[in-house]
Amino acid sequence: MALKPINRKADRMVTYLEHQGAVPPAEQMAGPVDPAGANAGVDENAEDVVALGGRLPEIPEIPHIPLGCSLVFAPGWEVDEAGGTAGLCQPVERDLFDCHLACFWPAHVPDQLNHSPDWTGKCAAAQNDWRKLEMIFP
Amino acid sequence: MVQRPRLTRTRLFAGMFLAAGAFVAAGAAAQSDEEGFPIEHETIRARCAACHLPDSEGRMSRISFERKTPEGWQTSLQRMIALNGVTLAPEEAREIVKYLSDRQGLAPEELRPGLFEVEKRMIDHRYLADTDVEFTCIQCHSMGRVITQRRTREEWELLMSTHRGYYPLTDFQAFLRMGPTPDQPGPDGEPPDTRQPMERAVDHLSEVFPLHTPEWAAWSATMRPPRLEGTWVLSGHQPGRGALYGTVTMGGGGERDAFVTRAGYTFPASGETVARRGRGLVYTGYQWRGRSFESDEADGAMREVMVVERDMNEISGRWFRGDYDEIGMDVRLTRLTGSPVVAGVHPRALQLGGGEREVRIFGAGFADGVGPGDVDLGPGLTVNRVVSASSEEIALNVTLAPDAIPGGRDVFVGGASLAGAVVVHDGIDRIQVLPRTGMARVGGIVFPKGYQQFEAVAFDDGPDGRPSSDDDLELGPIEVDWSLEEYAATFDDNDIDFVGSIDRTGLFVPAVDGPNPDRDRNRNNVGDVWVVATLAQDDNGDRPLRARAHLVVTVPLYLLFDAGANVSTGASPDPAASPNGRGSRTPGPNPGMGGSPK
Ligand code: HEC
Ligand code: HEC
Repeated sequence: MALKPINRKADRMVTYLEHQGAVPPAEQMAGPVDPAGANAGVDENAEDVVALGGRLPEIPEIPHIPLGCSLVFAPGWEVDEAGGTAGLCQPVERDLFDCHLACFWPAHVPDQLNHSPDWTGKCAAAQNDWRKLEMIFP
Repeated sequence: MVQRPRLTRTRLFAGMFLAAGAFVAAGAAAQSDEEGFPIEHETIRARCAACHLPDSEGRMSRISFERKTPEGWQTSLQRMIALNGVTLAPEEAREIVKYLSDRQGLAPEELRPGLFEVEKRMIDHRYLADTDVEFTCIQCHSMGRVITQRRTREEWELLMSTHRGYYPLTDFQAFLRMGPTPDQPGPDGEPPDTRQPMERAVDHLSEVFPLHTPEWAAWSATMRPPRLEGTWVLSGHQPGRGALYGTVTMGGGGERDAFVTRAGYTFPASGETVARRGRGLVYTGYQWRGRSFESDEADGAMREVMVVERDMNEISGRWFRGDYDEIGMDVRLTRLTGSPVVAGVHPRALQLGGGEREVRIFGAGFADGVGPGDVDLGPGLTVNRVVSASSEEIALNVTLAPDAIPGGRDVFVGGASLAGAVVVHDGIDRIQVLPRTGMARVGGIVFPKGYQQFEAVAFDDGPDGRPSSDDDLELGPIEVDWSLEEYAATFDDNDIDFVGSIDRTGLFVPAVDGPNPDRDRNRNNVGDVWVVATLAQDDNGDRPLRARAHLVVTVPLYLLFDAGANVSTGASPDPAASPNGRGSRTPGPNPGMGGSPK
């Protein structure tokens, strides 16, 4: 089953996946991902939620920098540099998928490289299973 | 604006190769000059030796060169299962964790600074021994995960490789310096530290957290299965519900280090009583891990993490539940040996003025026929009569002299005493909200809610009449009116309309997860607010007392590395599941005040 993009960013992702195997365009390989202007023309207020229906195809090996994820890593996922929420990447769903692909928040979001290569698919269930294997509390 | 690092495909793969290469290979041979621990456990030999080769001394690569808490061993095992294709029956996994925690655990003194990690306390921890290393290692998880491990230098190095291999971005996020190598002397005139942050971490950690320590040598020499059977006096405190007193009876659990428990306790503030039964297992001779229930296993389940003191007469720690382990109580168990034990007094704070009042003493082992003369509440407090008495609770009618000196009083009952069990004061001068900063997580649709319980504590300014000075008298938790106020973090902030609500016990209940179309740019229901406590001073017409705390309402965790809480990990970020962030799906049961918890 194919991905159903419901917005721009998801659309970009699908374009990537369709070209799997082909050499990705140069600027996507190595370029600074979101230099000022790269998003020019994108209505920031438009719905930019990454929504992927269906199941993710096998291992999209794309060098992907999470757009909009807080690069300020201290303290991190829960709070911004000022200790509040104003600077967080919002809504979180918008960049979740990017965070997953790049393992950007490995202690907060399932990572695609190792623990959950197929997050949206069956592995999510498998992952639940091994985490549920309790070993300590009787 | 922060410059985003460039990542190329080559770099990503460089990281991944590292994952495959560096790990297991550096096994027994490389570490043979270090004294690893021989592994004498059948299941470990059978299930792990394929990759972790034993040497002639029975030491297995990697495994023999580390010491950890039960939680630490669990993390590694879960990774073996998740990523390295190991399959284990639950029974085998438990046996392995038990064996390794007992043979290669942490000594009590070693664990103490990291107790907050295993007790799942949300505290502001600072690691002061090396703040640069702290900075490198707290980017993704708590320093608690680090300071509760001991390893050879080589193992600390391999841990760095593991991070870099599994998570290639780690280099950019923390492990490598992003700017140029420093070449100027520091402000102290010392030559610049040109080490990469991760090299510095390895140097530091292998020095302060080595595999072998005098503490572990001493503890492993005296460690033995604890004898905990008997009756224990329980005293504790649960934010939002106040003090609790009761007893816990422990019996043998049928196997080494295992126990069954029965607990009964009262919250004097509400009069509510609770009965629990459960079981526990002691790791490393002192680390209690238990689980207890109110009626059946699904109802009121709490996990228990406690430390048994060396004399085996005191046990203390935290019992908790909630999807983020956020709802819990501090507990202390004191062994009942025949003589009475005083656990606490309610009410603890006694205000000058007014006539006779009732005071109840909680504990265990109180003798039959206690008379007023058997109880001593200290100067200025006269016991008029015993209203009722049982072996666990004595109700007294008491008069407080108008000229009693404000301050704490030790309480004596029969041969037993408790320091500072009551405090005499002349009125509340100030209140404080705890915790000073709280954190809740939106949830209820895809993810569970993360709650935050607040409590207001009262103070008397003490003899000097100045607030926040050393002689202030802490009067304990009090009932207040709770409200939320905007914390102006950005212009035109309106977080307060979205983040959730606070109930009359001080429990903050966050709003649902998911993008909210009613908010600017579909923000989640996250935000910063003040939690405000107001205490009306109706008796003397003074202005009401107010205090506040900062509350961050933030995003869920999409992943929990700890199995116990059973957060549904790996849920898809599919907005169909939360169409509008205010979905009609009802949130989980309120884990608050005695309701049906998860
Ligand atoms: C199929 C191979 C394989 C098997 C079988 C295996 N492991 Fe591992 N183990 C690895 C690899 C690869 C690593 C290094 C990567 C990592 O830490 O995930 C490792 C690392 C470890 C570590 C070090 C982790 C750390 O703290 O840095 C421990 C401890 C460990 N294994 C325990 C075990 C135990 C116990 C068993 C048996 C139940 C076991 N392993 C079975 C492959 C295996
Ligand atoms: C980029 C994020 C990140 C940074 C930075 C980070 N860690 Fe970790 N760490 C993780 C994740 C994710 C895990 C869980 C891995 C797993 O079990 O799959 C982990 C696990 C661990 C563990 C438990 C491993 C085990 O098997 O016992 C230790 C110990 C640890 N980290 C120490 C450190 C130290 C020391 C530092 C600083 C030098 C550090 N971490 C920095 C993400 C990070």
